[in-house]
Amino acid sequence: MAAVSLAAGMFARRFSRTTSDFMVAARAVRPRVNASAISGEYLSAASFLGIAGLVMQYGYDVLWYPVGYAAGYLLLLLFIAGPLRRFGAYTIPDFAEGRFDSPRFRRLAVGLVLVIGFFYALPQVEAAGLTVQTASGLPYWVGVLVVVVVVVAAVSGGGMRGITLVQSLQFAVKIFAISLPAFLLLLHFGGPGLAFPPDGAAPHLPRATSYRVTKGEIWQLPGATTVAVSHPTEVRWTAGVLVRSPGAVTAEVSTPAAGQGLPASHFARTMSLRATTRIPKGVLVWEAPVTATLAAGQPAPYGSATPVSSDRSWEDPFGPLAGGSGHPLLFTYSLIMAILLGTIGLPHILVRFYTNPDAQASRRTALLVLVFLGAFYIWPPVYGALGRTLDPSLYGGNLTDSVVLLLPSVLGGLVGQLLLAVVSAGAFAAFTSTLSGLLVSLAGALGHDVYGRWLHPTASAPSRRRAFQAAAVLAGAISGGLGLLVGQFNISVLVGWAFAIAASSFFPLLVLGIWWPRLSTLGAAVGVSLGGSLATLAIATTMVATVSPPLELFLAHQSGLAVVLEQPAIVTVPLAFLAMITISLARPGAPPGVAAKMVQLHAPELLGLRRDYIPE
Amino acid sequence: MRDGSGPSSEADGLGTTPTRLLEFEEQTEVGGVYLQALMRRQLRLSLTIAATFVAFLVVQPLISTIWPQWSMIRLVGLPLPWVVLAVGSYPLLIWLGRVYVRRAEEVDDEFTDLLS
Repeated sequence: MAAVSLAAGMFARRFSRTTSDFMVAARAVRPRVNASAISGEYLSAASFLGIAGLVMQYGYDVLWYPVGYAAGYLLLLLFIAGPLRRFGAYTIPDFAEGRFDSPRFRRLAVGLVLVIGFFYALPQVEAAGLTVQTASGLPYWVGVLVVVVVVVAAVSGGGMRGITLVQSLQFAVKIFAISLPAFLLLLHFGGPGLAFPPDGAAPHLPRATSYRVTKGEIWQLPGATTVAVSHPTEVRWTAGVLVRSPGAVTAEVSTPAAGQGLPASHFARTMSLRATTRIPKGVLVWEAPVTATLAAGQPAPYGSATPVSSDRSWEDPFGPLAGGSGHPLLFTYSLIMAILLGTIGLPHILVRFYTNPDAQASRRTALLVLVFLGAFYIWPPVYGALGRTLDPSLYGGNLTDSVVLLLPSVLGGLVGQLLLAVVSAGAFAAFTSTLSGLLVSLAGALGHDVYGRWLHPTASAPSRRRAFQAAAVLAGAISGGLGLLVGQFNISVLVGWAFAIAASSFFPLLVLGIWWPRLSTLGAAVGVSLGGSLATLAIATTMVATVSPPLELFLAHQSGLAVVLEQPAIVTVPLAFLAMITISLARPGAPPGVAAKMVQLHAPELLGLRRDYIPE
Repeated sequence: MRDGSGPSSEADGLGTTPTRLLEFEEQTEVGGVYLQALMRRQLRLSLTIAATFVAFLVVQPLISTIWPQWSMIRLVGLPLPWVVLAVGSYPLLIWLGRVYVRRAEEVDDEFTDLLS
């Protein structure tokens, strides 16, 4: 996979000549190729691995993610695709400057592109490390290094045209890799219905399973469980429920008697385990490393990462994810808003649409993307749902994120091995393609803006091209370095952060900037800064709370506030719109020549009025 | 465009004179009125389609609140809320996208014909 990507990048290099070629593939890419490239770029590690793992953990409430990721493209098609292509700018900063005639505004936009872009790049790099670790057993940093080197080589070698070829190829790999194993699993086990037993009980192990537990590892037992240990050991056990688990040993439990959070050191009982012991329902902490074997038919133990969802809470709406917040409706609506609106504001998405020849092609491309995304997003939840029944042992080791990689091997034998290779290739395609797209955007912002406009405005075309290549290497090095540092961070927290910031800043800017001529420069700038910084602040507070017990305790008593801080879009998006509209109305000051810009954005090409904002 | 009467009149001089196009290009007040009309039609179309899908999304958590038992209903072995959200969303998305692209091109074409 890596070799093919690199070869396609090098092949395309021979055809890219000018900077414009390099940046947007000379706008000569066919809608079908372009649409599969866009889909290939968009389907990231979060889509390929993350959704399935989250569905396995939390059930129904996670389904908003794939639907929202796909529906974001409908909004993009409706409000952005046509006009923005006519405007003829490469990036969001181009649009910001062109629409408002303000280089200062451009700088603000470039800053936000870098923030959102790097935050979205981190989980891709992190997923690369984890996949290589899972598939081959090599250390985390090897995966990070390999992926960054491959992607930087492809990006700086082939520019956008090379990336377009590579990414449309990668889409084919991804859709094949996600659908074939799921299809075979469904065929072999007789349909998705088996994931939903009539009684909705917590999953039971389908076969005898051995766990290698480490000291301090936590198990949640959804029912009385018979455990055989390799040698006598001790565990601490309580009948409580796990309520928080930032680090294994400091986990808090809520006991029926006290009804409040207690640290793990207060666990009620120390139990000695000999050969085979029956342990009642509750929470236990292992005191020493040991191999624990559970017979087939035992309830599957849960690790600390997943809330036990027995009864029917996994398959019902408002289960452990939304219902656990205390305000399921508010949580669900805010989640939908962030995912739906965030797509449009992601920096690497828009640049693709400039590779279309005109607005009509741009719309048709977006429509094809919807078809491709629909064909993809139907599959990840299948893995999550089947994984719960077919391989619930993944709950115990906190391995649900790897369900897409590990589930096909339950078919066993050569087929299982082949399918493991196929899904690994798909996962590799997922994070390399998204990372490539992000690197083009980041390198564009660094090379095109920081170098080409501020540092060296008179640079010649070849030196601009070199700047783009150098910027690609720099951006890759930064993402890789940060990726090594954030190994312990939660992937979905980072992805959620990128989406929420994009939804609260660039989304209102683009929609109002395109459709409302009276939007003033001041209004737009204040709205973008306000929405972006409030969203960042809210999520930062949530993250600080995971390491600060007093803050967490405070938020636990203010559950409404906690939901809004964790999912800020429902507040910050309307606030950004409100700021833009009120300021523009209170101090009218539409930028000069706004009428001409509206003509450029909305007049059909056949009238022959179009002028590109950036001269070719 | 749809019936082959393209906006070629400017070039061959057979159709109406392109005064309206000139007014439009030079951004006179009349031209501004034309543009506003176009933008309003396109925006109304986009908002209608967007509202349809958003309503489809917003209604589902409401149903779950008012009538949680709807998850007991099975369709081909799957709970109904799963089928509606994880399967039903995509055909609806694609259908709405198709309707939009067709209408938006019609609006653009009518506008082009009007000005040429």
